[in-house]
This record gives sequence, structure tokens and C-alpha cells, in this order.
Amino acid sequence: MSASQSAVRSRAEAVKVSRTFDWMILFTLFFVVLGGYHIHYMLTGGDWDFWTDWKDRRLWVTVAPIVSITFPAAVQACLWYRYRLPFGAVVCVLGLLLGEWVNRYLNFWGWTYFPVNFCFPSNLIPGAIVLDGILLLSGSMTLTAVLGGLAWGLLFYPGNWPIIAPLHVPVEYNGMMMTLADLQGYNYVRTGTPEYIRMVEKGTLRTFGKDVAPVSAFFSGFVSIIIYFLWHFFGRWFASTAFVSSENI
Amino acid sequence: MAATTESVKADAAEAPLLNKKNMFAGAALYIVFYGWVRWYEGVYGWSAGLDSFAPEFETYWMNFLYIEMVLEIITASVLWGYIWKSRDRKVMSITPREELRRHFTHWVWLVMYAIAVYYGASYFTEQDGTWHQTIVRDTDFTPSHIIEFYLSYPIYIITGVSAFLYAKTRLPTYQQGLPLQYMVSVIGPFMILPNVGLNEWGHTFWFMEELFVAPLHYGFVFFGWATLGVMGVVNIEVQAISKLLKKDLA
Repeated sequence: MSASQSAVRSRAEAVKVSRTFDWMILFTLFFVVLGGYHIHYMLTGGDWDFWTDWKDRRLWVTVAPIVSITFPAAVQACLWYRYRLPFGAVVCVLGLLLGEWVNRYLNFWGWTYFPVNFCFPSNLIPGAIVLDGILLLSGSMTLTAVLGGLAWGLLFYPGNWPIIAPLHVPVEYNGMMMTLADLQGYNYVRTGTPEYIRMVEKGTLRTFGKDVAPVSAFFSGFVSIIIYFLWHFFGRWFASTAFVSSENI
Repeated sequence: MAATTESVKADAAEAPLLNKKNMFAGAALYIVFYGWVRWYEGVYGWSAGLDSFAPEFETYWMNFLYIEMVLEIITASVLWGYIWKSRDRKVMSITPREELRRHFTHWVWLVMYAIAVYYGASYFTEQDGTWHQTIVRDTDFTPSHIIEFYLSYPIYIITGVSAFLYAKTRLPTYQQGLPLQYMVSVIGPFMILPNVGLNEWGHTFWFMEELFVAPLHYGFVFFGWATLGVMGVVNIEVQAISKLLKKDLA
């Protein structure tokens, strides 16, 4: 190979080639990250995300942000620190939401016939925008972890409140007090997931009533800060370009 | 003059840098095939997939399993064998333009890998959740598993290993050793398939109900993280392509 030879015929072709690669890279990154993020999220927080009667004021608010800040932190560590692209978290969340919505519609509804207003996914977009915004404005991993991580936890419940509120309205049914979401769960029976498995509204703090969700969100934000740090460094490792000798394998 | 004419002729006869037809045909193949699979699930999941002791289960689901396994082994052997057998033994001597063309072909493989990973890790895995949370399992080989574990996972493994082999046998960039993150992004998701052993063992040993966040499933999670190795692949590729285009983009 001669060093003087060029791979392209003209500058125009070089620009075109570069743009084409950009699209192919973005497509691949989007869908591979979607796959990894989705399998991670569905198996660490999925049950709270699948069903409205799992979307409670305690465990959903605590678990979902903690397990979902992982991939955004890792992808930011690559896209921002290598390319100064400030959309790592939003790309991850858009991918996850696309995967979830396609599934909830075509499979939860299309195959097992649960109505979509019983199995729609949680909204993670507000936290993702704030996480990317803080990184863009500060350029600091530490500040993004501390402020962004805390915001990620705190914004989750308010970000979902307009969607879930109508289903948290109390109803009386056969002399029992429950929410509309509970009622959905009783009517759309999941034979493989009996009621004793449902983990909602546990713990003594719920007796404080209105404080449950904010306290859970605050705790979730605290853990999200730590998880952000951890996954930022995971992201740096995954983004490395090292080669190893085949003798070491 | 003569030399210019020859050069123009050569350009006209030259294969395109990116074979878009191959890329769109490949993508269509996955999408149409999985569309058909989803149709099959819809029709035979409920009508023949609820009782593994029923004769129709054997007809529509176990036979599906046997056929797909045989076809996957044949496809992997032929495809990987072909890529290896037809490898370039003078890979360091290719022209920069040929190298660029091969990078494009490599990216066509990676785009296919992305589609295959989406269907395996996202579409069919969460679909398995709704199936099990609705239908009580009475076998390891449920309709959703026959599609998820034994069809969609082998397909992304076959595609991912093909992409890796293509890069390793045809691109100068990958001759300096084994790219760590490339291996992570292919071998990690591959390990999800052996992890099915743990999953099935646990479900038959401990519980038949479906709690998706059960610790039994964390093996899938751990190996799913390995998809992030694609960021390392992107970075290696960006460096290599930038090197090829740097002079012309300056």
C-alpha cells in the first residue's frame, strides 16, 4: 500500500463517504445499545415497568431510576469524552423507549392481549435531557454525576405523574379500597405472575402517606449518583480501543 | 489521454464503495423473516403452544425447534467457513480505496448485527416476559423460548461472529492483534446462550412463576452489558476511517 495513494477520488467524495459512515455508525450504535439497555432494564426493573399496578409510590420510584442510569452514563462517557456529542443519555433512553413501545404494542397487546394503558413503559426522557444538559453546560463528569444523578432520581416520579395519576385514583370495589391500577391488575389476570409476587407499597414508611414518593425519589437520586460514577468508568473501559495478543487468549 | 480514459473506464467498472443493495436486502431479510416468525407465534402460540404434552405441540413447536437448530448449525458452518476460507492472505498490501470499500462492507455486517441484536435482546426477550407472565410454563421449550433462545440468539451470534471474522480476515486495522472490545461485544452476547442453561435449571429447580427481575436472570443482564463493547468497535473504526480520509478532508 502506498502512502501517497488516496482512498477517495475527490474531497466531495470524502465528505460523502464520511457522512455515510456517520449514519451507519449511528444506526448500529443506536440498535446495539437499545438491545443491551433493554435486556438490562427489563431484567432489573422490568416488572415495575411492565404493569401499571406495579407502578407504586415506593419501589417503582426507587428501582427504575437506579437501574436505568447505567447505560446513559456509559454512553455519555464515550460520546462526550471522545466526540463532544452531548446526547448520550437521550439516545439511550430513546432507544429503550422505542424497544419497549414496539414490544408493549406488538407483544403485550398483540400476542397476550393486555391493553396498552395497562402495560405502557415508564417515561425517562426528562431525566435524560437534564443529564445531557448538565454535561453539556458543565463539561464535568463529577458535576453530571452529582447534580445529574440526583436529578435523574428526583425527576422520575414527576416525569411520570401526569401519566400515572389517573390510575392512582382510589376506588371501592366489592367493599375493598384500591387504586384503578390495582383493579386493572385484578381484571387482567397474569396467570404466571400471581398476586403474592407483586412487590408494591411495602415498608413502614408508607404510613407517612404523602411523603413516600419524595423520600423514595431522594433515595433513588442518591444511589443514582453512585451508579453514574461506576458506569461512567465502565463506559470508558467499553470505549477503549485496545488490542490484545492472540497468545494471551 | 489514454491513461485518463483507462482510469475513467476502471472507475466505471469498479464496484461501488458501499453496496447499498446488499445492505437493504440484508435488512429486509431479517425484518421479513422475523415478521413471519411473529405471525407463526401469533397463530400457533395459543392454538398449539399451551400444553407441551399435547401432540400438536410436538408438531408445531418441537419440530420448529429441531429444524431451526439444524439450519443454524449449517448456516454458521457455511458462512464462517466461507469467510475464513476466502480470507485475504495479503491483507496488508491492499490499496487505500480497497481498504475503504472493505470498511463499508464491514459496516454492512455491523448494521446487520445491530438489527439481529435488537430482535434478540429487545424484541423477543421482552416478548418472553409477557408470555411467561401470562402462561404457566410446563416445559423448558416453551414457544417463546423456541423463538427467543434457540432462534433469535443464534442468529445474532452467527451475524456477530461473521462481522468479526470479516474484519479479522480482510481489514489491515485488525492485523495488530485481537480487538478486545470487539470480542467483548460479540462473545458477551454469545454467552447469553449458554446462560440459558442456568435459567432453565433455576426455573425447574426453584420456581415456575415469572418474576422478571429475579436474581436468576442476572446472568442475562451481565452478558447484556457486553453490547457496550460496540463503542470500542466504533472508536477503532472511526480512527481507521479517519486515517484513510484525513488527507482529503483537510
